[in-house]
Amino acid sequence: MNAAAVRSIFLLCLICLGALLSGCERQSPEPGEEVVYRLKWLYNINTAGDLYGLEHGVFTAHNLKVAVKPGGPERDAIREVELGRAQFGVASADQVIRALAKGAPIVVIAQLFQGNPLQWIYRGGNADYAGPDDLRGKTVGITYGGNDETIMRSLLAKYSIPPSEVNLFSVRYDYTPFYSGEVDLWPIYRNAEGIVIGEKMARAGEKTSFFVPDLLDVRFVANSLITTRKMVEEHPDLVQSFRSALLTAWQEALAPANTEKTIALVHAYDQNTPQEIIAKQLAATRELMLPENGRFGQIDVAAWQQTERIMLEQGVIEAPVHVDKVLLLDGR
Amino acid sequence: MLLQCRNITYRYPHGEALVFNQLNCRLADPGFHGLFGPSGVGKSTLARIIAGEIIGFAGEITRPDNAVMLYSCNTERLPGWSSVGDHLAKVTPASQLPLLRELITAFDLNSCLDSRFSQLSLGQKNRANLTRYLLQDFDLLIMDESLANVDEATRKQIIATIKKMFPDKYFLYISHSVAEVSTFCARILVLRDVLKSPQIIEVAGRDQHGDTAMDRAVLERTMLEIVHAA
Amino acid sequence: MLPKRISQFLIIYFLGLGLLLAIKYCFSLSDYVIPGFTDIENTAADVFGRYLRAVLDTLGVAVIGHLLAIALATVVAIAGRGDNLVGAMIKTAAYNLQAYPIVAVAPIIFILLGDGLPSRLLIAAIICYFPLLLSFIGILTEPVASIEHFYVVTGRMRWQLEVKIRAFENIHKLMTVVTGSATLAMVGTIVAEFIGADSGIGYSLRIALYQSDMAKVLAALFLIGVFNSLYLVSLELLGLVIQKNMGVEPRMN
Repeated sequence: MNAAAVRSIFLLCLICLGALLSGCERQSPEPGEEVVYRLKWLYNINTAGDLYGLEHGVFTAHNLKVAVKPGGPERDAIREVELGRAQFGVASADQVIRALAKGAPIVVIAQLFQGNPLQWIYRGGNADYAGPDDLRGKTVGITYGGNDETIMRSLLAKYSIPPSEVNLFSVRYDYTPFYSGEVDLWPIYRNAEGIVIGEKMARAGEKTSFFVPDLLDVRFVANSLITTRKMVEEHPDLVQSFRSALLTAWQEALAPANTEKTIALVHAYDQNTPQEIIAKQLAATRELMLPENGRFGQIDVAAWQQTERIMLEQGVIEAPVHVDKVLLLDGR
Repeated sequence: MLLQCRNITYRYPHGEALVFNQLNCRLADPGFHGLFGPSGVGKSTLARIIAGEIIGFAGEITRPDNAVMLYSCNTERLPGWSSVGDHLAKVTPASQLPLLRELITAFDLNSCLDSRFSQLSLGQKNRANLTRYLLQDFDLLIMDESLANVDEATRKQIIATIKKMFPDKYFLYISHSVAEVSTFCARILVLRDVLKSPQIIEVAGRDQHGDTAMDRAVLERTMLEIVHAA
Repeated sequence: MLPKRISQFLIIYFLGLGLLLAIKYCFSLSDYVIPGFTDIENTAADVFGRYLRAVLDTLGVAVIGHLLAIALATVVAIAGRGDNLVGAMIKTAAYNLQAYPIVAVAPIIFILLGDGLPSRLLIAAIICYFPLLLSFIGILTEPVASIEHFYVVTGRMRWQLEVKIRAFENIHKLMTVVTGSATLAMVGTIVAEFIGADSGIGYSLRIALYQSDMAKVLAALFLIGVFNSLYLVSLELLGLVIQKNMGVEPRMN
């Protein structure tokens, strides 16, 4: 390799390093500056409150300038928050616990879903899965590596069902194996795809039900609001203000009086889903998000601890992370 | 008579300028005929029109039915996947195999038979290529610079051999060498610029056979005649 | 040849890794964002056996898919090399279809063929097929007048001979295209596994990404790079042997 080539490679490395370093530069928002809020998934019913806050002036009313950015399979809100590219994000408990196990400096400031929307849909007419024992001999869809795998394996372990007695099936975005009857139980987000698939099956004359791990005391916390500990320490007012704005936005979005407004708003961002489906999704979301005591956004510490315990038992994490220490019950 | 071209007019596809304008020529008797002219005047194009490889010209070419006219040139190559000997054997009709052996000896190709074409010298390549054409069934063989890279002595020997072995065939020998065409060809078609009329002038050559002595003065007169015509 | 390829890959891999670690330590990033060296080492030791089997599985599919693509591209290019209606149609179809993003078509393939071997093979083959086809058509359409002329004027030309002449004369280009498309076959297989299959290193990568486990991703990338280099070297060696047997001066890509 000649000197010119070495110089070129060195220069290229420097340019790459510069580009990467600039990308990693941590940014702390100044007062009045825009904050970035990275969602967990694409715009759909699970982002109704976030969009409501943006479009119906809730953030503005709290003197916040917020950029709401959609998530997706290739986005990780925790990484973005740690890297300073976003100040707030949405992540599920398993993501948070995995990140804590790797030393990510994040905290949880609100728990959006009180019940886990990740459930299993099944044909109601064919079998009754009232209890875990009914899973024996069935084909159960799981996303290998996903939190549904952890939940299902934990449930099987909890009820002493050997994995050999359940046929686990690797699932993807294609629901054909469920429609064709190849798979008996299919993991879905109950308030999102659950409604769509349920409707499809109903049109085909088939009744569907949901297998709910929460009801079998396998409680796995879903979407929660996260930020960094540094943000909480350096910008406590901003954190409080954002938390308050977001919870207000969700309250308003889920309020029966605002149903039409919320449906129209979600449809504007998710035009592939018909409004009548969004209406049903909204009703299902209300049940999953609004706690019985009415304190929206409250962090269920016991559920978080159980989530950690499940992950520990399943070998997803190697050592306890003491998740309760990062749960800031009132955002402080 | 084998061939007569009448009023051939031609321009290259997508080209504006004429290459030939009302060109007339003929090949009346078997033997070695020359086609001579300055570079770029259209010698190869005319040869390929005669061989039937170029169409889209105006005018008329008359030739006997079923007459086979082959065009060969010095840039042709034999495929590289087999030896020269194998290739020559493969493209030779069974009835011509004795002729193949004769030509190999006459053209001094024995040492090349086991080699690939790419391993030969330029002169050997020219000879191998010419050999395979001579083994085909033809009435007229056009040799476009076919011996361009062959040394003078060998060239002389090859042409003499061809004349001896194929006395009833027609050959149209294209060359830039006025001495060469003057020496070896019976008739020389001197192709001139398209603006000149007639575009082809026919000059009698010396048509040397074997080692027959050549009157130097006569040859020089022929050469001068050709040069003046061009 | 092999040490050169492998060492080139190792230099690039470890340069990249060094860059990541430099960023990690410069900005005190957690192991979640960029895993530490020990984490990577432990994870690599932990998953090595499993990932090795997965990457061999992927390589097997990639090789078969690549061979299928070469065979199919050869057949279609032979059919499409002519200057006639069929040739024109095949060329137009090839140029238009290759613009389709296979990643978008892949889910349909999984719906039709399931998530087993056929889908992986098909996607791997399709991803490397079009570059091969376009090159093959280009090569087989271009006459080699200096060789073909004799066969044409003496009435000996057959399509098999025409293909043989053009392929032989462009053997270096063909070998370069075949070697170049090998990486695409590997990429195609990994994409297929990532999207829909239930085995192979792409599937393992997907799980690692689900789990946000960058150390596993880095371990998988290492094995993919090593085995891809091995495959490329094997093809280059094969190319040299073919060229030598055909009497062509062997040339490296």
